[in-house]
Amino acid sequence: MIEIQNLSKRYGSKLAVDGISATVRPGIVTGFLGPNGAGKSTTMRMIVGLDKPTTGSVLVNGKPYVKHADPLHEVGALLEAKAVHTGRSAYNHLLALAATHHIPKSRVHEVIEMTGLAAVAGKRVGGFSLGMGQRLGIAAALLGDPQTLILDEPVNGLDPEGVLWVRQLTRYLAGQGRTVFLSSHLMSEMAQTADHVIVLGRGRILADAPIADIIAGGTRKLVRVRTPQAQLLVDRISGPDVNVTGLDDGALEITGIGAEQIGDAAAQAGIALHELTPVGASLEEAYLELTQDDVEYRSEAAR
Amino acid sequence: MTTTTPAAPRALDGIRLGFSGLVRSEWIKLRSVRSTMWCYGLIILLTIGFGLLYSATVSESSDISVETQNSLAVQGMTLSVNFTQLIAAVLGVLVISGEYGTGMIRSTFTAAPGRLSAYFAKALVLAVTTFVVSVVSIAVTALVTAPILSGKGIDAQLGESSVLLPLLGGAVYLTLIAVLAFTFGAIVRNSAGGIASVLGLVLVVPVVLQIFGALTRADWITNLAAFTPSNAGGKIFAYVPDAAQQAQPPAGIVSLNATEGLLVLIAWVVVFGIVGALLTKRRDV
Repeated sequence: MIEIQNLSKRYGSKLAVDGISATVRPGIVTGFLGPNGAGKSTTMRMIVGLDKPTTGSVLVNGKPYVKHADPLHEVGALLEAKAVHTGRSAYNHLLALAATHHIPKSRVHEVIEMTGLAAVAGKRVGGFSLGMGQRLGIAAALLGDPQTLILDEPVNGLDPEGVLWVRQLTRYLAGQGRTVFLSSHLMSEMAQTADHVIVLGRGRILADAPIADIIAGGTRKLVRVRTPQAQLLVDRISGPDVNVTGLDDGALEITGIGAEQIGDAAAQAGIALHELTPVGASLEEAYLELTQDDVEYRSEAAR
Repeated sequence: MTTTTPAAPRALDGIRLGFSGLVRSEWIKLRSVRSTMWCYGLIILLTIGFGLLYSATVSESSDISVETQNSLAVQGMTLSVNFTQLIAAVLGVLVISGEYGTGMIRSTFTAAPGRLSAYFAKALVLAVTTFVVSVVSIAVTALVTAPILSGKGIDAQLGESSVLLPLLGGAVYLTLIAVLAFTFGAIVRNSAGGIASVLGLVLVVPVVLQIFGALTRADWITNLAAFTPSNAGGKIFAYVPDAAQQAQPPAGIVSLNATEGLLVLIAWVVVFGIVGALLTKRRDV
């Protein structure tokens, strides 16, 4: 559980985070969305006390992070891919972090195995690829078996297998009742991982809602359909709000009607569907709409 | 499942952040980067090397007083300190600035969000390791060079406290310089800047003060120079003959003895250590 209360951070004249309040609840994956410079990383750094808030406070599992007797057991944080001394091996990096909390060596080996680093654990981190650095950061975050996980752009630089792994891992951890808070620029990724989304723009919270509500809030819902009987299907589902666009590869992009209705209509007419996909990009659209409003509001205010 | 999921939930209940853990962590960090090995390796090599060089090149003497023999021997065995202090200073800065430069400091302060315990653990591990390495290298140097010096008519009384203390003092001096450099690294948070400023204080400032003191004939400038870390600290590893044989400094000119020099150097470390601690606690990382 992370409770953010009226949190602000000012760097010189720039207000990076502007009085945000939110609660990140256990048992679900909470996504943290926002364009570059929106204040996501700053907020995450303030949660673990690396940056001091200008105003407001953050409680993690009921206390300020610094007050916990076992910080790594409360929060595991991946804040940047390489918060690691480049001259040290991955194993020694984890060993040094584990030593602070008297975490046994066996746990170090466990997280190395878990993150797929066994083959490179003895190598110096300076030679790691972005993806390897990311895995090491996740290994460090998991080291203390934390109740709360904070992951800043965890899939950044990961290969598809790694992306899938992070998705499964975060869902698994949330399923165990832990708090999982992750930021990402990849809206489609967020759509597949998060249950709840907090959207940040220019330091302010634009939306804080279940992911379904965010998507529902978007004006345009999109379903991708592939069928050999395209014309027949279009006839069956046509209506005033329904808009069908044919793509070059033969797929149809349909808006104004849900995937359920399209599927039902096809079944009734005996039309074979080769694909019926509610497109995750609708979160991206909802998100762009949200942040665009913010940008427009800002430029008007600046006038 | 086994490769993608963690062990049973809350498997580590009861783990605690503590100072002993932080000390172990800092020890693992210190020994697991190459710069440490290079620096300590160089300290060992230079200490023994300069001792051998001195004992091999010093001219043979006969009929010199015990005091002079002791003085020459101590001089030879601690000659290296003038050079190894630079390495100790560089290492002291790197121990902390390397963490700021690479971003490691964020991992360190996420694990120990109180920060000060990590800061002091780091200083302690640096101090103890530097002291052990220095004291062993100087001891080896003494044991290796004593027979060579003896062959040249210089018999050091290695059992006498007047000889032993300055030898030990060389190690104490290197340790305190390393820790002073560490505090500079914590304040400046940048390797190049930290090294430049600590070497400036240790090497350049005394020379500048000496020059201005001589030019202006102002006693206070000369006296100020006596309190710089290297001049004050230099007294810790200097052989002091019997009080009766000591030349009295001119009136108005300060001359620190070994104890005073040690206290002055400790004061430098404490003052900068406090400034470094306050800044470490307060600044965003």
